Amino acid sequence: MDIPVRDFRTKAEQDLLDLYERSADALPGNASIAAMRQSAIRNYAGLGLPHRRVEAWKYTDLRGRIEDVPPLLAEADIQVGETELEAAFGKAVMALPAYRIVLAGGEFRGDLSDVGALREDGVELSSLAQMLESPPAWLTAGLDDAAARDDDVVIALNTALMTAGVALRLPEGLTLQKPIHLIHLDAPGAPGSIYTRNALVAEEGASATLLESFGTLGAQGTDAQDEQRNAVTTVSLGPKSAIHHVKLQREALETIHLNVWAAAIGAEARYNAFQLSMGAALSRNQVYVRFDGEGAATDISGATLARGSQHCDTTLVVEHNVPACESRELFKLVLNDNARGVFQGKIVVAPDAQKTDGKQMSQALLLSETAEFDSKPELEIYADDVVCGHGATSGQIDEDLLFYLRARGLPEAEARALLIQAFVGEAFEALDDETIGDALSSVSADWLGTPVE
Amino acid sequence: MLEIKNLHAKVDGREILNGLDLTVPSGEVHAIMGPNGSGKSTLSYVLAGKDDYEVTDGTVTWKGENLLDMDPEERAAAGVFLAFQYPMEIPGVATMTFLRSAVNAVRKARGEEEYSTPDFLRTVKEKAKSLQIDMAMLRRPLNVGFSGGEKKRNEILQMSLLEPGLCVLDETDSGLDIDALRIVSEGVNALRSPERSMLVITHYQRLLNYIVPDRVHVLSKGRVARSGGPELALELEKSGYAEYGQDEASAA
Repeated sequence: MDIPVRDFRTKAEQDLLDLYERSADALPGNASIAAMRQSAIRNYAGLGLPHRRVEAWKYTDLRGRIEDVPPLLAEADIQVGETELEAAFGKAVMALPAYRIVLAGGEFRGDLSDVGALREDGVELSSLAQMLESPPAWLTAGLDDAAARDDDVVIALNTALMTAGVALRLPEGLTLQKPIHLIHLDAPGAPGSIYTRNALVAEEGASATLLESFGTLGAQGTDAQDEQRNAVTTVSLGPKSAIHHVKLQREALETIHLNVWAAAIGAEARYNAFQLSMGAALSRNQVYVRFDGEGAATDISGATLARGSQHCDTTLVVEHNVPACESRELFKLVLNDNARGVFQGKIVVAPDAQKTDGKQMSQALLLSETAEFDSKPELEIYADDVVCGHGATSGQIDEDLLFYLRARGLPEAEARALLIQAFVGEAFEALDDETIGDALSSVSADWLGTPVE
Repeated sequence: MLEIKNLHAKVDGREILNGLDLTVPSGEVHAIMGPNGSGKSTLSYVLAGKDDYEVTDGTVTWKGENLLDMDPEERAAAGVFLAFQYPMEIPGVATMTFLRSAVNAVRKARGEEEYSTPDFLRTVKEKAKSLQIDMAMLRRPLNVGFSGGEKKRNEILQMSLLEPGLCVLDETDSGLDIDALRIVSEGVNALRSPERSMLVITHYQRLLNYIVPDRVHVLSKGRVARSGGPELALELEKSGYAEYGQDEASAA
């Protein structure tokens, strides 16, 4: 196959190639990993950065947005204390009982992670960088699976440049009683490019919750310019396993946040994903879910809170490759000022994936005249005995409801916040774990300016 | 005391209130009757401060203060309460959360201490019981899936929790069966006191058998056409609103 020749590259596109050239020798991994990286960067060179004429990026012009590429971060000695964590994610989130794993400045921080406790409780885990030197088969499978999505630039760049992350395996039948909290941090005052890769494998009947939080160390706003975050997590669910995958993204407003979750779901397994996006200048959240075994289900939901000139794009692809699986998608967006929210939801039903049940809904609440919501549902159905549906709505605060609340004494700002909270609340209901739901809800309430009960 | 003088108000550019005069002294219950379109509901919204109701002339003072200068929430704090004809449904807001936010907002604005959780729960329980409201209902989203009677009882519960000085009841009897009407009326009567004024807006005399007013006013074309004692309501029940600008058929 010929690699398409592109005769023009933007500065940033070239910078990314240079970044790889400069860094390749120092990147972790054995010879086969190095070959995988090579292949990925060649793939990227052919694709370039996506722009509006690329259908999957119709509403998010990444090529136009990225001007410079900061150096690759791999700093080992960043100081991280409880105070910094609480500032980054909120007290309620840090108070959650959880096994912690910390990735800071593009490095896995064993000293800040509950590696011992996780191993004691039966989880096989290791720093990704370490594992790439001699990757076990269960890790290679996840890497190959991601690399197979060769039209995805975010994954290609991640495969080429990943410096750190964690690989976790839940053996057959293991149920974790506490969530694993994977904390992604940057380096304060040192804007950089951060490429992290994580892999979670749940063997048959295993179950756990993985909470991924993305935040900025130090004061939000000034000292984290042009940070570029690229994080990919692959999840493999064995038969009858159950994974809850939750995300809190609260990065500084100068960050460009690119994130992929790619899940492969075995028979009768359940994958529930929830994403709360609040930070970053531009964020692109891609969730790929593929059904590999019959009778499985997924619920993908989330809330986006954006203001100023934030741009938040959530793009989901659910592939029903086998019969009798169920997918549910519900996203709620609250957009103020000049913020722009994008929701793209694709459901693909393979020819023999009969009895598929797929539903998708996105709803935006526009708080200003200049906020924008773009929604693009795509249903590709090749089977004939399926139930699939989609819907999208966009509206403003109902003035009659507002008057009702104010007539009962609630000040206007509080009444508005209560109505906004009620609007996004439905998405939070999808979270089975109420303690996480409450914690995230209180983080969102801070944004909405309501008092927390 | 509520004093309305020469009140003119427009909705969508159409003049609905047209020189309305009305005085409700403390401790009195006044009924407002009248045919459809005479301005009854408009009056209630103007008193509560709804945005799209434009006052073009006249004054409304409550306890000597100019009510028209106040935001809806300021009026609530000042003691004005409107029991809505059609209470709003708000999915995603638990009734209990709403009640608590409202009560504490009003108490705060009045310079009173906010309720502690146990005190609040005790107060709600007690008042809900007298209105035959099940606590399970209060855990549901506000008014969502409530029957007509449940919504109206919920309005009266809010009224008793917010301890207003001026209660405006907008067709509280509409959509109620006879049992619900009795419960709601008993709830309202329990709130009658020498410090409290009430304005009971209704199309039918029936409600006034339960909530007996001190005065009855008949609205017609946006002003008070006639005033009298409780016997005026009975008279209207017989004669209808024909002489006040509406035919029998649509009044019935």
